[in-house]
Amino acid sequence: MAPPPDGVLDPDAPTATVAASRWPGVARYAAARVGQGILVLFGALTASFILIHLTGNPATVLAGGQLPEAQVQALSHQLGYDRPLGVQYVSYLANAVHGNFGTSFRYGTSALSAVLSALPNTLTLIAVSIVAAVVISVVVATASVLRQGGWSDRMWRPLLSALQGIPDFWIALVLVLVLSVKLHWLPSLGYTTFSSLIMPCVALTLPMLASFSRLLRASMLDFTDSDVALALRARGLTRREIVLHHAMRNAMVVFVSYVALQAGWLVGGTVIVETIFAWPGIGTMLIGAVQARDLAIVQATVVLVAVAFTLLNLAADLAVIWLDPRIGRERVSGR
Amino acid sequence: MAEKRRSAARRIARPRLGSGSLTAGLILLGGMLVFSIVATLASPSPTAQDLNHALAGPGPVGHLLGTDALGRDVLAWVAGGIRTSFEVALLVVALSAAFGTAVGVAAGYLGGWLDAVLMRLADIQLSIPPLPLFIAASAILANNMLTLVILISIVGWVPYARLCRAQTLVLRERGYVAAARLAGRRRATIAVTHLLPGLTTEIAVLGSLQAGIALLWEAGLSFLGLGLQPPYISLGFLMSQGKEVLAQAWWVATFPGVALALLVVGFNLTGDGIRDLFATGTSGGIR
Repeated sequence: MAPPPDGVLDPDAPTATVAASRWPGVARYAAARVGQGILVLFGALTASFILIHLTGNPATVLAGGQLPEAQVQALSHQLGYDRPLGVQYVSYLANAVHGNFGTSFRYGTSALSAVLSALPNTLTLIAVSIVAAVVISVVVATASVLRQGGWSDRMWRPLLSALQGIPDFWIALVLVLVLSVKLHWLPSLGYTTFSSLIMPCVALTLPMLASFSRLLRASMLDFTDSDVALALRARGLTRREIVLHHAMRNAMVVFVSYVALQAGWLVGGTVIVETIFAWPGIGTMLIGAVQARDLAIVQATVVLVAVAFTLLNLAADLAVIWLDPRIGRERVSGR
Repeated sequence: MAEKRRSAARRIARPRLGSGSLTAGLILLGGMLVFSIVATLASPSPTAQDLNHALAGPGPVGHLLGTDALGRDVLAWVAGGIRTSFEVALLVVALSAAFGTAVGVAAGYLGGWLDAVLMRLADIQLSIPPLPLFIAASAILANNMLTLVILISIVGWVPYARLCRAQTLVLRERGYVAAARLAGRRRATIAVTHLLPGLTTEIAVLGSLQAGIALLWEAGLSFLGLGLQPPYISLGFLMSQGKEVLAQAWWVATFPGVALALLVVGFNLTGDGIRDLFATGTSGGIR
């Protein structure tokens, strides 16, 4: 990269005055993000409370129409569902803050510990799929931007559009059909060996790969279309340098937030794929709990997923501070 | 005549890179619709069971796409399922676009505390992962089309609200809006006659992209046994039946999946196409 004629023009040049004046802004930004996260968790708790009280008395849902009225009343009293709604709400919030969602009648333990014991299996699935999708999409998008209109660009774009439309559970079924039923290469159920990871991860990775590389490609092209890129070109940088150093760095700001959002959605979004592969994660547990009307597990799962989601987004917001030097220097609106 | 019309259309549309995707998307969706209608008319009832021909393979004689474990015709079911998918997609888009647009325009145009409250609500809504909520809700509420459409719309209104708010903030500074206000028009009238028309393109783009997502939600929930069950004809439900007989009958799960993918791709191409059609060029660039 040719040295810029004037340090002031270099967007990446750190100067002492700017660095010093940035931190109060950054602290304000971070505090706003943390505050927003707390607000979101509060919202999720409230939503799950409203949800289980939608039908009036949750005890009727627990009983599932199988118990006589007197026993439903007794159950309702035992679980505290006959108290005024406001009282229930406050005690629900207080219990949730302490991680107490009641006892799961299916597992006989606290609902939170049951869900926490299944969480690592789900997180493994998510981590492997996200890393695979990120690595492949960065390669694909960069190649496609560098050789825009070239054969790889023209080959990948329709393929990715198609991939984005394919539901992950259909990919999962086709994989089972071909690799397990026909070829007997991979185990189709449970989490026994490392190779059990392959099929569920491929099913989760492919649709994400499509949206990741489309987003990355589009934001890199947004940059190469801008006056900034034209100015860099005028200063003698090659198109390749602009794409690899500047377009990539700029695209990362949006990309990181998006990947975190997807990862967060995936914590609760692996349910279908988990069910197909009988994966011992929180998704399979949630479906089992819904079928058995184990409300404690359902609530603990919803809240835990919301917590994971909030933490991931918070991490992304903080990473963006490091990626985007404009934050703190000026007013940055929204995300 | 045809020549003239085409050149006029070209002048308006200014075909840009990828504007063929609108044509491709509309053809794909139209094709699916025609296929659904023709196949429904030509096939037996999708719910008619025929245990003598259970799990019959696909072939030109009898059942073109085979039958499932209860001898139901897969072609008829796929055709009916496409119709259900269209219905769910249209209802969800109509409901969430109406609600989201109303919220967005109100927040952007009226501003103040209303804006702050509505947009924080939107942030919270967007931050709650939808699938566990859907699943929990379907454990509690009755499974029918209306419940499902409302649930999916509750998740889907936020992008419309954000977009319309941002656009309204720009549009309300325009001269014609000020002129309308000077002329003594009521604020509600201004919102409908002067602000809404400026938002239609973006709403159309969002709507076609959301349609694809909405029908995937429906299929996914029905696949889990939490969405639409017979007598509703759902592609997701047929796939869940196909999962049980995957080893003996690959066709039961495969064909509804293909139909779903084609529908989603059709809606995505349409959305991309509308966006390309109205995209404004930028001044600089090194492309």
